[in-house]
Amino acid sequence: MEIKEFTKKLFASAKEAGIEQYELYYMQEGSLRVSAYNGEIEKFSQSQTGGFGFRGIINGKTGNFYSESLSEDIIPLAIKGVITNCEVTGTEEKQELFPGSEVYPKVETYFPELNKISAEDKARFALLAEKTAKEFSPEIESVNTSLCDSGEAENYLANSLGLELESKSNYIVALVELTARKGEEVKEKGDIYIGHCFDEEKAKALAISAAKKAVSALGGTGVQSGKKRVIFKNEAFCDILATFADNFSGESARKGFSLLTGKIGEKIASEKITLWDRPLLKDGYASSAFDSEGVACYDKSVIEKGVLKTFLHNLKSAAYFKTKSTGNGFKPSYKGAVGVSATNFFIEKGETDFDGLLEKMQNGIIVTEVEGLHAGANVVSGDFSLAAEGFMVENGKITHPVEQITIAGNFYELLKTIAQVGNDLYFNSSAVGSPSLMFEDISVSGL
Amino acid sequence: MLCENIVSDILSAAVSGGAGFAEVFEEKTVKDSLSLINGKTDSALSGVEAGVGIRIIEGEKVVYVYTNKTDRESLLKLAQNGAQMLKGINKSGAYSFDKTDYSLKTLYPAEILPSEVKKEEIAAILKTGSDTAFKYDKRITQTSFSYLASTQNVLIANTEGLWATDERTRTRVFINAVASDEREKQNGYFGPGAMKGFEFLRDLDIVGLSNEAARVAVTMLTAGACPSGRFPVIIDNGFGGVIFHEACGHGLEAAAVSKGASVFAGKIGKQIANPKVSAYDDGTIVNAWGSVNVDDEGHPSQKNLLIENGILKGYMVDRFNGARMGAAATGSSRRQSYKFMPVSRMTNTYIAPGTDSRDDIIASTKFGIYAKYMGGGSVNPASGEFNFAVNEGYIIRDGKICEPVRGATLIGKGSQVLTDIDMVSSDLKLAEGMCGASSGSIPVCVGQPMIRVKEITVGGRG
Repeated sequence: MEIKEFTKKLFASAKEAGIEQYELYYMQEGSLRVSAYNGEIEKFSQSQTGGFGFRGIINGKTGNFYSESLSEDIIPLAIKGVITNCEVTGTEEKQELFPGSEVYPKVETYFPELNKISAEDKARFALLAEKTAKEFSPEIESVNTSLCDSGEAENYLANSLGLELESKSNYIVALVELTARKGEEVKEKGDIYIGHCFDEEKAKALAISAAKKAVSALGGTGVQSGKKRVIFKNEAFCDILATFADNFSGESARKGFSLLTGKIGEKIASEKITLWDRPLLKDGYASSAFDSEGVACYDKSVIEKGVLKTFLHNLKSAAYFKTKSTGNGFKPSYKGAVGVSATNFFIEKGETDFDGLLEKMQNGIIVTEVEGLHAGANVVSGDFSLAAEGFMVENGKITHPVEQITIAGNFYELLKTIAQVGNDLYFNSSAVGSPSLMFEDISVSGL
Repeated sequence: MLCENIVSDILSAAVSGGAGFAEVFEEKTVKDSLSLINGKTDSALSGVEAGVGIRIIEGEKVVYVYTNKTDRESLLKLAQNGAQMLKGINKSGAYSFDKTDYSLKTLYPAEILPSEVKKEEIAAILKTGSDTAFKYDKRITQTSFSYLASTQNVLIANTEGLWATDERTRTRVFINAVASDEREKQNGYFGPGAMKGFEFLRDLDIVGLSNEAARVAVTMLTAGACPSGRFPVIIDNGFGGVIFHEACGHGLEAAAVSKGASVFAGKIGKQIANPKVSAYDDGTIVNAWGSVNVDDEGHPSQKNLLIENGILKGYMVDRFNGARMGAAATGSSRRQSYKFMPVSRMTNTYIAPGTDSRDDIIASTKFGIYAKYMGGGSVNPASGEFNFAVNEGYIIRDGKICEPVRGATLIGKGSQVLTDIDMVSSDLKLAEGMCGASSGSIPVCVGQPMIRVKEITVGGRG
């Protein structure tokens, strides 16, 4: 691994330049993607990229630098970048690097059998998914995307306190996006698979799922505005939970942006709610043995039966709150500084199946999809007002699709007022999970 | 950057599997950022991104390979891997290039490159902003201010002998003030930017913008819930243009149009909007955040008329999708970095000035919502269903702007809302944002004069 040679040289220069503590985080990724369109392979894409992040500490202050080039002439730039950035930072808490955890958990993140899936196999899956979707219904007008992508990544972490860790992971992704048409009305829907094994059956199932979503959404009507009972389908609530997840970050709390600051041990949600961060989850998309600072990962409940148990911490936020890092100090990539991220982050499932939720709701709306979260949701206040669509439910039965509605509320109030928790736990592509959830009183705007 | 010989060899290897066209895109980008939380420098980062993307097109098939290993051997091997995906007659050869350096006659000169600026100076300016916001009102409890600057050098060369180079320096600032009471928090936010160097930050009215962000936060803290239902909505100029960006702009990109996956496909020459609406996508505005001298496949940028008096006049077209729909490229092909295949995207997109006055628009509205500042939004180009958020809104009653309301989202279908724009004032203003799509996140401007939509679904909690 040429990175280890590079690290030695970089660390020698850092020591010479008087940087007190220093750390290198390296990541290398490769991917191979095949896309089908109109019965042919339309696009093929291959990549081999990587880079390193370098952070140094001088007088308790941190400076960061990153580069996609590993040539030796980048070393003086890296040293200068870190020193300059150390000089300008002004946080009061003294920063320190991490010497390493005593033990690291074993987490399976690399699946050798995935390498047996060739480019030809991926082409076959993408074409099959496209064909299956088109044959699903005459209302399927076009399959705009059918792709199959696989990738693998290698991480290397080393610091001046003697820490040295390596990890490797791989995955396969398949995505189908299509449009259904009835007269002038068009609906575009899609579905995505992320995981560690893929075959023809899964390709077909993915295509059918996407096609069903689009066809069943045709013929939607508006809804009279008012307060209504609402079931958020698991997928839709995953998106809402992901949007507000940052409020559980110790970094947000440290900066004073989270309304949960100071509420550890308090009841902040219905006792029906238990919220997990489980990096050791088998087959989880975000499973990991250690974070980007080298802290060992472990499973923990963030909310247990409605009570806030902990924030998620990196070294910096943990030091601020005089506690220990929870092993959530992740970097989004080699770029950027260490932040806080959840791993496999999900609401524990309940016992009621989806039909049971419909039965309990009797009359109301199922929200299958919410849009505009990056703008219509205020992460700080918890307020949201979002475009949505789904189905009307009358007397416990789905009657017809609804569209062009908005739903509005507040995330913190939602947590307190959950009426029913479904048993259909689902994880989205960001490793955020939720079962379907029912609420009594949601503002719905339509006609 | 790569030399001519290596580029020629890469192109030759790229078409060795039989392809009509190959292109090399190389970039080297230096980035700097700095962020202040509550007036203290919280993090400082600098970095270098560099790599090469190779695109190979044969008919309606395209191969894209990219790497940051930019030695000759790695690049040739990658080009050969890509070539193998296309089976045809080897078209390898040696290429000579007609070179254009767009940075010599640039639309966006940078006086002071980000690399020449002391970070202490930047931190001091941001600190002034933070102090201003805290002083505005005692209910301002947190601030975050950050600075992002980059200089991107690009080389685009292809088998047609094109060789284009450009240098793009961008500077942007994020200003965020949070107001709190015992129960909750609200924020006010601005993100001004330009294709300029440090002079942008030096000349920026940081005090004015910080006061304004604080004012929005405090106003929204005391605002009531926005009513729900269908009302007339007046959308102010500047970032209000996000409505056109979402409701129409994405649907005019060739990537959607060439697959028929847009409500505006096949509608050139047809009335798609109210006759009061004309709109442009203009990549040639001096120093504007969304401008490019040359697009990311080597076409010079241009001012594209999209809609004239409600009639659809043109799309934004890239090479690949243009070939599929039989349309010429319009200087609209863009990408976030070498990690993305370029595709038709917006640059600076706006509704052109009309003839109504602001006062008339407000005075002639009996009941409705006035959206002073907009947040972002999103759209599904196939169905035309869009949504976007109001960051600062007010009730309009009997032709007067009354109490503030919070938490409003506007939704609709693009084709309908374009028809429902029934008043357009003359005070065009642009505003900066980032736009995400298949070729990544790119800087764009949205813009418009004040407009009125005669009826749109407003989602609030009231």
